[in-house]
Amino acid sequence: MEDKIEDLFDYVQVRCLWQFFSRTWDRQENIDGVLGKAYELFTGKEPSLKTPADKLYYADAKTMVADCLASFPWIKQASEAEIRQVLDGLKVRLVDNVITKSTNRELTHHLY
Amino acid sequence: MPMVLLKCDSDIPERQKHIYLKGPDEDSTEFLPVANAPTIPGTLSERGCAFCGAKLVIGGVLKDTIQMIHGPLGCAYDTWHTKRYPTDNGHFNMKYVWSTDMKESHVVFGGEKRLEQSMNEAFDEMPEIKRMIVYTTCPTALIGDDIKAVARKVMKERPDVDVFTVECPGFAGVSQSKGHHVLNIGWINEKVATLEPEITSEYTMNFIGDFNIQGDTQLLQTYWDRLGIQVIAHFTGNGTYDALRGMHRAQLNVVNCARSSGYIANELKKQYGIPRLDIDSWGFNYMAEGIRKICAFFGIEEKGEELIADEYAKWKPKLDWYKERLQGKKMAIWTGGPRLWHWTKSVEDDLGIQVVAMSSKFGHEEDFEKVIARGQEGTYYIDDGNELEFFEILDLVKPDVVFTGPRVGELIKKLHIPYVNGHGYHNGPYMGFEGFVNLARDTYNAVYNPLRHLAGVDIRDEKPTVLPVKIREAA
Amino acid sequence: MSDCNCEATENKPAEVKLVPRERAGIINPMYDCQPAGAQYAGIGVKDCIPLVHGGQGCTMFVRLLFAQHFKENFDVASTSLHEDSAVFGGVKRVEQGVMVLAQRYPNLRVIPIITTCSTEIIGDDIEGTIRLCQRALAEAFPGRTIHLAPVHTPSFKGSHVSGYAECMKSMVKTIAKKGTPTGKLNVFPGWVNPGDVMLLKEYLGKMDVDATVFMDTEDFDSPMLPGKTIETHGRTTVEDIEDSANAIGSLSLARYESGTTTKFLADEFQVPNYPVDTPYGIANTDAMLRKISEITGKPIPESLVRERGIALDALADLAHMFFANKKVAIFGHPDLVFGLAKFCMEVELEPVLLLIGDDQGNKYKKDPRIDELRAAADFDIEIVHNADLWELETRIKKGLKLDLIMGHSKGRYVAIDANIPMVRVGFPTFDRAGLYRKPTMGYKGAMELAETIANTIFAHMEYTRNKEWILNTW
Repeated sequence: MEDKIEDLFDYVQVRCLWQFFSRTWDRQENIDGVLGKAYELFTGKEPSLKTPADKLYYADAKTMVADCLASFPWIKQASEAEIRQVLDGLKVRLVDNVITKSTNRELTHHLY
Repeated sequence: MPMVLLKCDSDIPERQKHIYLKGPDEDSTEFLPVANAPTIPGTLSERGCAFCGAKLVIGGVLKDTIQMIHGPLGCAYDTWHTKRYPTDNGHFNMKYVWSTDMKESHVVFGGEKRLEQSMNEAFDEMPEIKRMIVYTTCPTALIGDDIKAVARKVMKERPDVDVFTVECPGFAGVSQSKGHHVLNIGWINEKVATLEPEITSEYTMNFIGDFNIQGDTQLLQTYWDRLGIQVIAHFTGNGTYDALRGMHRAQLNVVNCARSSGYIANELKKQYGIPRLDIDSWGFNYMAEGIRKICAFFGIEEKGEELIADEYAKWKPKLDWYKERLQGKKMAIWTGGPRLWHWTKSVEDDLGIQVVAMSSKFGHEEDFEKVIARGQEGTYYIDDGNELEFFEILDLVKPDVVFTGPRVGELIKKLHIPYVNGHGYHNGPYMGFEGFVNLARDTYNAVYNPLRHLAGVDIRDEKPTVLPVKIREAA
Repeated sequence: MSDCNCEATENKPAEVKLVPRERAGIINPMYDCQPAGAQYAGIGVKDCIPLVHGGQGCTMFVRLLFAQHFKENFDVASTSLHEDSAVFGGVKRVEQGVMVLAQRYPNLRVIPIITTCSTEIIGDDIEGTIRLCQRALAEAFPGRTIHLAPVHTPSFKGSHVSGYAECMKSMVKTIAKKGTPTGKLNVFPGWVNPGDVMLLKEYLGKMDVDATVFMDTEDFDSPMLPGKTIETHGRTTVEDIEDSANAIGSLSLARYESGTTTKFLADEFQVPNYPVDTPYGIANTDAMLRKISEITGKPIPESLVRERGIALDALADLAHMFFANKKVAIFGHPDLVFGLAKFCMEVELEPVLLLIGDDQGNKYKKDPRIDELRAAADFDIEIVHNADLWELETRIKKGLKLDLIMGHSKGRYVAIDANIPMVRVGFPTFDRAGLYRKPTMGYKGAMELAETIANTIFAHMEYTRNKEWILNTW
């Protein structure tokens, strides 16, 4: 399980920018939003595209899902529960890395 | 020790907090260079000032706006004929610069009358121009001139003009970065939503953080035209003042330069709910990804795939030709900040180039989080690198090419190391698919320059150096 | 029917007007501000790194400007004034900057400390800070001497022209020391390219005159060497500057760029001051050589007579055939502009518009070279002082017909948009290759400049198909 979370974590860190937005709340929103849509896409569900934010998370998630399916063979075999587990683990890992433990001094400044 | 104290810094050991050598299994929660901190005097840092960040980088790019610099003549002279951002209306932005020519009497008695007079003269001399940005500089900020009041008066007397003011004295902040910030925040608070744009497509976006260096913006615009997406405002490449007033109506904000322009994207999200999509518009593979994301947002994925397929067919073979010959070559990147994280992985993936050292003039810790996540182990990550540090780093990493500014490039030329202009490019544009092939070509031509071999020959040697017969190939 | 393009229809005396720019604001400044000039003086000294006390832009923009002109890097440091200093004073940053430079550059011997508008307004006490610095340096580096020269160059006065003069004077004032007479001649050419420094050194050598050129910038045109050493430095040493006080005289070639320094040497050290008109063109060069001969007692050699003759011969091929009655606008440093105006008239060009770019108009009113122009000209001349480049552009837009523009590269779009041939001269000349290596002074300089003017006009004739067939046989 750890390895699978690391696979996805490494991918996100090297490839994505949404987890590095300007403030802790922006990063949290993006992580929740993108991984939420990623879960729906991995598990074959129809993602909700009602709000602009929905569409944005979908756009980021779609690329991530396509890349990960191509790079990590274990994903195709994974069950919904496993996907849930991996993505939850990924969220913890990301929040820990880019929010909780980040030494970026600007992250908590209340103004942009 | 991951945080490195170079020999040349033994007398300024605080520099160790700013230089990181990435090791295995490390990440930026453990080691992150301190960035956006005060500069140590006398180090020959590469940093510029806040006025530069506001006027030269962002405001001065606009193609229909008078750039009124409230201060002595030097700030105007220095920010004129120093950039390569063309426009589709005859490069008005590069041909002219304005100054209130502040003198000692204004320091003593105030410069507001002088500013007002200069503003009126400027509008009178160019009656077809109706927009202006006024910038403060060190002295006008110090004496407390109220440029907003003067702007209001001029606008009242000339109802057909609009004036934006930016308080960006050179000593503000620690680098160009403060100027970016002040302009971004000022613009959204004062000018966004003061004009309604004409909507011409069901898909609308703003492109934020691209300044049309050598035509970057215009190249990317061919993609948006083909996809049928209306770009309401370009912040600020080939852009107009009034287009920027309509940014609030876009459905999406696409951000390339998150450093200089992330601020306005954040505020547009906060105040208008417009989502922010960060992409890399440098990088062959990155460009395809960016187009896919934008098209996914708008639900026009098929059109996106067609565009990408066409561009790949046209440019990928050329890119791959260069990749074959640049594989394994070592690069250093010494630029402002974001290009470090835009280029480090894209030159690796698309061209096989290994980036071995990077230095940022004005990047924040956020920029270092990004570049360290994308960059390699064994690479140096430097905040606010200075000249002696550059020499020591060059000795350590021995790059085949350095992407940096022309002055530093002319310095390292003596060490027989070629440079490619990482700011204004050599032969750009460098964004988009075609642009990355241009970047590859300039890199190839720099690395495979016969002069490098000739420079190393000492004609006094008894045995003449044998030079390779064939150095270059036809692309 | 030939169109002779000449306006010889009536007899009236030529008018030479000196007018100021009437607008308050500037559109397209002709010069940079004082600190930029101060930095140019400082980099001409060996083992010297100027320290600019102000915002980082004051240093960084100027290093870029020099790099554009020379295609080289020059070392200049900044005290990196930040907001706290603007409020509480910046002298601590000067102290820190001096110490950091001294620690990291063990060969450093001179630091001109250059003020800017911000630090002059804040009122930082540079002289007092220098005393503190010297004490700290003596403690940290016993036995080592670093000269700290206070240079007061706020940007709201003068321009880079006066800033250069101010730093030259300050460095001489700080370092010059009375001692044993050297028998040498001080030569102060003003703000010139390495090409002119090399020409002057060559002339002095040919005349067998032992002289020191201040500042010796020959190595600003520096090589790529197999040993990879970086040699882009001034050659003028501390000892050279010390001994300027012990020379047989000072030859000042640029009234506005070296005049104050040579006057200082005369007042303070009784070194006789010999100002001459800036040696652009034949007659000015003649006068300079005669003056050198007079001061030193050395005869003018045959080789210089020959070089003069070669120049005259080349000029004679061009003057009445191609240059006569052609209208020229010249902009740039004041000494350059006055010198080139006289040179133009030697070859029958008509310098109808001269533009000088700073607020020193009261000085220009008294410049005898204007009266000389008045006496010699057979056409009207307008001299605009405190001019910006919009003054040139609007006159052209309003109908001024020019056949040639001579000036620096920041005026390029005026010429490009009006389709007028332009010869780059002065500073900066970044949009042409290698001009810093060429002399503009002396016989050789006059000849090469004339040939550049001719070749520029010829290329223009070809690209615009304007009687280009004249050159089929010339």
